[in-house]
Amino acid sequence: VRCQLSPPQRPLQASAVLRRVSDEQKEPLASSSQQQFDSHPADHQPEQEPQGPRPSYTGQGGQESEDYESEEQLQHRILTAALEFVPEHGWTAEAIAEGAKTLGLSVAAAGMFHSDGSELVLHFVSQCNTKLSELLEQEQKLVQLGKAEKKPTDQFLRDAVEARLRMLIPYIEKWPQALSILLLPHNIPSSLNLLTSMIDDVWHYAGDQSTDFNWYTRRAVLTGIYNTTELVMMQDSSPDFEDTWRFLENRVADAMNMGNTANQVQSTGEAVVQGLMGAAVTVSN
Amino acid sequence: VYQVFESVAKKYDVMNDSMTLGIHRVWKDILMHKMNPSPGTLLLDVAGGTGDIAFRFINYVRSVRERQLQRKLKHHQNLSWQEISETYQEDKLKSLGDSQVVVCDINKEMLKVGKQKAQHLGYSEGLSWVLGNAEELPFDDDKFDVYTIAFGIRNVTRIDLALQEAYRVLKPGGRFLCLEFSHVSNPLLSRLYDLYSFQVIPVLGEVIAGDWKSYQYLVESIRRFPPQEELKAMIEDAGFLKVDYQNLNLGIVAIHSGFKL
Repeated sequence: VRCQLSPPQRPLQASAVLRRVSDEQKEPLASSSQQQFDSHPADHQPEQEPQGPRPSYTGQGGQESEDYESEEQLQHRILTAALEFVPEHGWTAEAIAEGAKTLGLSVAAAGMFHSDGSELVLHFVSQCNTKLSELLEQEQKLVQLGKAEKKPTDQFLRDAVEARLRMLIPYIEKWPQALSILLLPHNIPSSLNLLTSMIDDVWHYAGDQSTDFNWYTRRAVLTGIYNTTELVMMQDSSPDFEDTWRFLENRVADAMNMGNTANQVQSTGEAVVQGLMGAAVTVSN
Repeated sequence: VYQVFESVAKKYDVMNDSMTLGIHRVWKDILMHKMNPSPGTLLLDVAGGTGDIAFRFINYVRSVRERQLQRKLKHHQNLSWQEISETYQEDKLKSLGDSQVVVCDINKEMLKVGKQKAQHLGYSEGLSWVLGNAEELPFDDDKFDVYTIAFGIRNVTRIDLALQEAYRVLKPGGRFLCLEFSHVSNPLLSRLYDLYSFQVIPVLGEVIAGDWKSYQYLVESIRRFPPQEELKAMIEDAGFLKVDYQNLNLGIVAIHSGFKL
């Protein structure tokens, strides 16, 4: 993240849009560009835009940069604003352009992003994962404080996956498009990364519940459950996606059984081997 | 500079085609794709004389608009014919979707050629032609969504002033795009390119446009122009953020892009 103001070279060229975090409390500056924001209702924080030289900052140099929003933060804000337009425009540069407009920026700001809407989808997925983590964290706190019961693994997994998939509901119509964008070769590293870290998170919070699977199998199994349930959800037209949750329940149950079966296979295998050894010993004698 | 372009104006397009073997059209198309303008964009094309960028912009926006309308119509499949025809009509009127391009040039002759071309090719709406100097633009602050300068910035005496003006007239969030000849780092290509530039181009200039000197000037101005990184630094100095450049043809031409954030 570059310093926004490198003192000697940029005499008082305050950026037009990147706002000072502390300015949010002050009254809006009266400058010509503020007219764009009159249409925004008062409950939406008016964008503070320091226009032109601000004498009070002379000589304070590099310190100002910490208060200014970075380009990445601005990009995140644009993408978040763009989500509102996804149901209408899909996961496209158009949605991003509309999002930029609501922030008072020119539609050309969408040029900062890839023209296929990749960043928008990735941003959304990342946001959902963060929300899920927070949810699971809160639940864990409640359990630790003794205010809630600790859930058995299968229930926990079901609830976590359901919570995460429910976040897709507002965008469900355009979600197939999003999935295809996530599968584009240049997006696969990022999308795979997001998926695995989400699955990791869920297992982390499901934590110390014994399942007898090893770590890789756990990940693979849950990823499989999540992906298949997601696909089922795309096709589901039942009220509140009942069919999807039932599918999920069955898959999780299968996975649990698989664990038991694996155990049984192992112990049966051991028993068989021992039997054979015994037989061999007997025969040799 | 003014006199060079006065004499060059009429033959400008022909010379472009012959000098670059027609590739300049591809470069300009790439510029348009990079811009990816959505309908409703207000474009300022500086030093845009004969209108190449402007016409491409209009074509692009028109096709985007058509696709948008088609998508809307697909969604309207349950409406009655009456309602469909009404929406169709009102959208027809806005075939450009409120997009506009202002072509600004310092040279009257170039603008004249541009206007004639526009008439000839049938471009009527969404176009304006303004006489102006890139170092001191006759426009208000925060007006345009995109500012382009294609093969014009090397002719500006004070590039920093032009960049500052660009910053001034762009809306917050607006984009600066510059298409210009630049530095070739590959040594083999560089030698071939030099050979071509100094031996072939002035000769073409003499043969086609009857003007050796202007094209000699052209080639020299290309050599004198700052290379990619330097231009990038200058753009950043004017206040633009997320400044980046894309080399076309290994650096013969580069597109610099920056945002007013």
